[in-house]
Amino acid sequence: MSERLPPNPRERINRARTINFSFDGKDVEAYDGDTIGSALHASGQKVLSRSFKYHRPRGLLCCAGQCPNCLVDVDGSPGVRACTEPVRAGIKVTHMNAKPSLDFDVMRATDLFGKPFTPPGFYYKTFIRPRRLWPLYEKVLRNAAGLGRLAKRQADREWRTEYRRRRADVLVVGGGVAGMAAALRAAELGADVVLMDDGPELGGAMLAGQDADSAKELAESIRAAGVEVLAPAAALGFFDGLVPAWQGNTLHQVRADRHIAATGSIEQPLIFDGNDLPGVMLCSGAERLASLYGVRPGETAVVATTTDRGLESALALQEAGIEVAGVVDARAGDGSEELLGALAAAGISVHRGTGVVKAFGRKHVRGVVVADLDDEGRPDPASKRGIDCDLVAVSGGTMPATSLLLQAGAKARWDEASGSYLPDGVPSDIRVAGAVAGHEPRNCAAKSGAVAGAEAALSLGLGSEEDRARLQADRASLLRETEGPAPAGQARTQDAGSRNGKCFACLCEDVTTKDIDYAIEEGFDSLELLKRYTTVTMGPCQGRMCQLASIRQMSEDTGASIEEVGLTTARPPWSTVPMGVLAGRPFEPAKRSAVHGRHRELGGNVMWAGDWRRAYDYGDVRAETMAVHEGAGLIDVSTLGKLVVSGPEAGAFLNLLYPNRFDNLKPGRIRYGVLGDDAGRITDDGTICRLDENSFYVTTTSSGADAVESWFSWWLAEWKLDVQLTDVSQGLSAFNLAGPRSREILSGLTELDCSNDSFAYLDGKRANVVGVPCLMLRIGFVGELGYELHCPGPLAEHLWDSLLEAGAAHEIRPFGLEPQRILRLQKMHILVGQDTDAESNPLEAAMPWIVKFEKEEDFIGRWALEAVAERGAENKLIGFTIENGTVPTEGAAVVVDGQPVGLVTSSRFSPKLERSIGMAWVPAALAEDGTTITVSDEGRQISAAVQTAPFYDPDQELLRG
Amino acid sequence: MLDLFRKRRMWRPTAELKDNYDVVIIGGGSHGLATAYYLARDHGITDVCVLEKAYIGSGAAGRNTTILRSNYKTSEGARFYDASVKLYEGLGAELNYNLLFSQEGHLTLAHTDRAMFVMVERAEVNRLAGIDSRVIGPEEIEGLAPAMAMSRDAVHPVMGALYHPPGGIIRHDAVVWGLARGVDRGGAEIHPYREVTGVERSNGRATGVTLSDGTRVGAGMVVNATAGWSSTIASMAGVELPITTHILQAFVTEPLKPLLDVVIVSSQMHVYISQTDRGEFLIGAEIEPWTTYRQQGTLNFIQEASRHTLELFPQLERARILRSWAGLCDISPDFSPILGDTEVENFLISTGWGTYGFKAAPIVGKTIAERIGTGTTPDLIEPFALERFYRDRLVSELGAAAVSH
Repeated sequence: MSERLPPNPRERINRARTINFSFDGKDVEAYDGDTIGSALHASGQKVLSRSFKYHRPRGLLCCAGQCPNCLVDVDGSPGVRACTEPVRAGIKVTHMNAKPSLDFDVMRATDLFGKPFTPPGFYYKTFIRPRRLWPLYEKVLRNAAGLGRLAKRQADREWRTEYRRRRADVLVVGGGVAGMAAALRAAELGADVVLMDDGPELGGAMLAGQDADSAKELAESIRAAGVEVLAPAAALGFFDGLVPAWQGNTLHQVRADRHIAATGSIEQPLIFDGNDLPGVMLCSGAERLASLYGVRPGETAVVATTTDRGLESALALQEAGIEVAGVVDARAGDGSEELLGALAAAGISVHRGTGVVKAFGRKHVRGVVVADLDDEGRPDPASKRGIDCDLVAVSGGTMPATSLLLQAGAKARWDEASGSYLPDGVPSDIRVAGAVAGHEPRNCAAKSGAVAGAEAALSLGLGSEEDRARLQADRASLLRETEGPAPAGQARTQDAGSRNGKCFACLCEDVTTKDIDYAIEEGFDSLELLKRYTTVTMGPCQGRMCQLASIRQMSEDTGASIEEVGLTTARPPWSTVPMGVLAGRPFEPAKRSAVHGRHRELGGNVMWAGDWRRAYDYGDVRAETMAVHEGAGLIDVSTLGKLVVSGPEAGAFLNLLYPNRFDNLKPGRIRYGVLGDDAGRITDDGTICRLDENSFYVTTTSSGADAVESWFSWWLAEWKLDVQLTDVSQGLSAFNLAGPRSREILSGLTELDCSNDSFAYLDGKRANVVGVPCLMLRIGFVGELGYELHCPGPLAEHLWDSLLEAGAAHEIRPFGLEPQRILRLQKMHILVGQDTDAESNPLEAAMPWIVKFEKEEDFIGRWALEAVAERGAENKLIGFTIENGTVPTEGAAVVVDGQPVGLVTSSRFSPKLERSIGMAWVPAALAEDGTTITVSDEGRQISAAVQTAPFYDPDQELLRG
Repeated sequence: MLDLFRKRRMWRPTAELKDNYDVVIIGGGSHGLATAYYLARDHGITDVCVLEKAYIGSGAAGRNTTILRSNYKTSEGARFYDASVKLYEGLGAELNYNLLFSQEGHLTLAHTDRAMFVMVERAEVNRLAGIDSRVIGPEEIEGLAPAMAMSRDAVHPVMGALYHPPGGIIRHDAVVWGLARGVDRGGAEIHPYREVTGVERSNGRATGVTLSDGTRVGAGMVVNATAGWSSTIASMAGVELPITTHILQAFVTEPLKPLLDVVIVSSQMHVYISQTDRGEFLIGAEIEPWTTYRQQGTLNFIQEASRHTLELFPQLERARILRSWAGLCDISPDFSPILGDTEVENFLISTGWGTYGFKAAPIVGKTIAERIGTGTTPDLIEPFALERFYRDRLVSELGAAAVSH
């Protein structure tokens, strides 16, 4: 730990407690409170990563999680910002994107020799011919690209993450002095305030400076005022008032009535040859490293700046114990006299009107070449001179962090005076405070925050007249402080230095200033095109380090003003965030019927069916099918959607929804119904039983239950009928007892007269079965005598058990979905979504009888169905049989002359009929009994005979009997 | 290779707008540029002007998820997109611009037997149209996408997939720039930052357009290739389109070392996943159900798409999302495009592109150019005429196009 500075009161580390972790397999000792980056730097590991394209060595730059230079892998998580990630004992940290090692990377060859071959977009201009070799080239390119490495395979999610939702009066984003002042004021006025900040400790830029203590005090007071502080929690975006923030394993989703953006500003790097070498750091980064972690950023520093920030920084660095070999200030005349005086007093030479031309050194800075700058900022070659140093602290001014505001709908306005883009046209529920508003000086930031906090709280109706008056006064004094010309030295943020050699405008993507010139000369002369072509601003820093530089260069190259060049669109997330955090808990609810346990016990093959877990069969499809034909079968159909439609206009309502009539259905009777959309396309089907004069019991398909409920609700709202809709799908269970002996079984369990005379086909009756109140529907989906029993879920198990028990003497078997599919296919009962698709209408889907054009009232899809009736059916859904027992794959094509003209929708082998049966869509001309159609199934040609009547019991004798 | 050292302009600086052109194309995206390109290449028509309201490729051409495929459900669709993929295959060499077309294959996953059914149907239609497309089982899927989790017990178990070997991803911006250069060299003009605010008509014919600054540009033929805004532009010409505009969203992760070569699509989970040549995982979903022109993304999308992606690729849980965006989709009632003539003479449209317009760019350009050059509608786009909605002759791609990318 030789690189540590003497202790200072601001430091975050606990020198009494050491923690060990590994970097690339080597043991590294750190202090409690260190970040991975600070500990590595202190241990002498100055190179932390290799760059994306040229594999150049990169080290700490911003020390604030803003830049791409310190991305490492921590225990298998790639892309971790080492400079802000706290050290934890035992973590395994590894470098990314270097082979064989971080210190010796063979891909560096692309930097040393490949540069002429790799201008921006070089891949668009090469490897074009021969085309057959492209896959090979592509493999090489792909392997060269990419930074992090993930497991080749992982069975399941391993990281448990959570969502947390929070409602608040005021949300403050940014925990610097302005943000804290805003939160405090809003809380004092009685608002429920949440404050989020991406750093571990509130205080922002103050923490590394002289005012660290007051920042800590302010943080104490906002907590005492009841502000909920989320830190470190990076705000990810602004989604119409919803602000998500990532903190550890949690994704906070904060929705507030008022927002205060106190997101601060981002210090900008300078552009010169070698500006990416390890040892070139932002002033704020170097200060942070020294002040918060007691790590020596370098022995001897040169500070290069375009603003007073650099002058302050030189003083701060020297005070921290770093020798400052000189300040290189691009400004010839500007600069705070006070600071210049202090620098002179401290013995630090200031080279005014001078810029850094080059930083040299192989893997680390060994010195800089500086030169005098002319009025346009160009270096004078004759004045070049070297200064030895191992730290170049740079400050190219600051850029307000407006990204969240832009996402919220604000505009960015170029402010010539401050040389930055300031927010403009901010939506009314958002207040802006501190540096992001251009309120830079610290005393002013606090006031700016207090004003924003008061405005937010007062606009919510909180506070008193007195508070309003105080706000007025604060506003006025803030205006006085921020009005007028920008303080000297805050103004221009021009590049200082030269564009020879490799000057990186964008560190993430290794885009040099020459690359930008090249692209603009090629014609990519708008910022958005430049961005897409060179990929500048598209890397992990999200443009924080490079957007302003690229705008400025485009402006210089094209002669357009900076305002004309504009900004690229701000897109979320503002900070990169792991997918696991956004995904939340890996939570997929399954619906299970009330007797689900019984299916398991009975050996059911339980599989997913939509949202449900259902028994496909109980091990013997054939036996289950035959049981329904010969004795009895019992299937759980609790998954059906079940709606009670009641009210004086219930019949009229159904008449409007369905193409057939329901107002004339007699109480206690059942009718089949097909739902369609405006285009007459089938969307769902089910049975409707009229319970009494004013109420109907409507069943829907299992998968369509939710959609039908929404459809009904939608139209009910539209038509404003006197109807109540109750969805009882979840509350009621339903079983279908079917087979020739089902009547006998049922008769033994209920007092109801189940004889055919008294309980006929399509009757619906209410009665107790083994004491369980049931609605019994005599319908025949599976084609045999059958009763669908609907009962309250909690009693369903008793009913199920009793039916199986009583049925034992009648050779009852539970049957699953698969036997049901065979049974219903024998009857040509369609499955919506299987035998129909988004184009099917009832006229063509073998159900013309269900459409009652003679109905007086309109019904949904009437117009469309009339059009179909007029033009005549073009395609028809028919049945087919195949004598030799071949079962074509469902989905296979029906072909005429080798061209697809239709398709097989259902196909099964029927054990009862002992042949292969199916349904298919065919052109109307082929839809005649006895016609032979050809099915093409993965190249096989299969002949099938068309049959239009049901395969089993076509005259419904069994159903009615 | 030599091009590396020649710093040549891709296209001329924007010219002065003339008063009149033979053809005015509204929309400087992949369709508009392709139309201008083929007009010159196939028909020698070069008095052409492409008007773009922002920068070229700023709409759907620059926001799509770059997937190309032709395994559609209807034979009309399959044939059409197949012709497009074939043009794309030769386009890079023709334009002398590497479009980074990575034909590593396209997998549409089936998680239920119902989905398997649709896959079989599509495979059969594709096979009969001569398109390489077949249903494969879990083992073969594992070979093609070894990084994917294949647990049978998952909520959405991977039961099979429709495998389409010629499908893949292409660099969308390169397509735009390559075409733009081709257009420029062919002699037509591209005018970025020129917004059309009116379409002039006379006697039921389109005769020109007016721009936001009041400029009038006369035209022998006006082509509306504005995707998400096509119904707005069409109504300027008095043509009402059965189009609704929705947003579709996508995001990318930080670049990662290669894990996935093929394109993975899961319609049921509403997610599709590919890995770009830069290493970013590119993830998209289905269109949002509400109609809007506001290209504002939602948190809900990023959450849902992340959750579903992690069901297939749990190792991505630590991969970081870098950037998300939204684009506009022009949805037609049958999820097939609307192409060619309208009731206003000399006003042609290319719309109804939903989430699949980029796949069709070259074939749209070629066929619309043919329509203009020869005066007759090519067979390939005949089924996609606007008129079909008046005659109930839909070409339903619902289920194969809606979420399928």
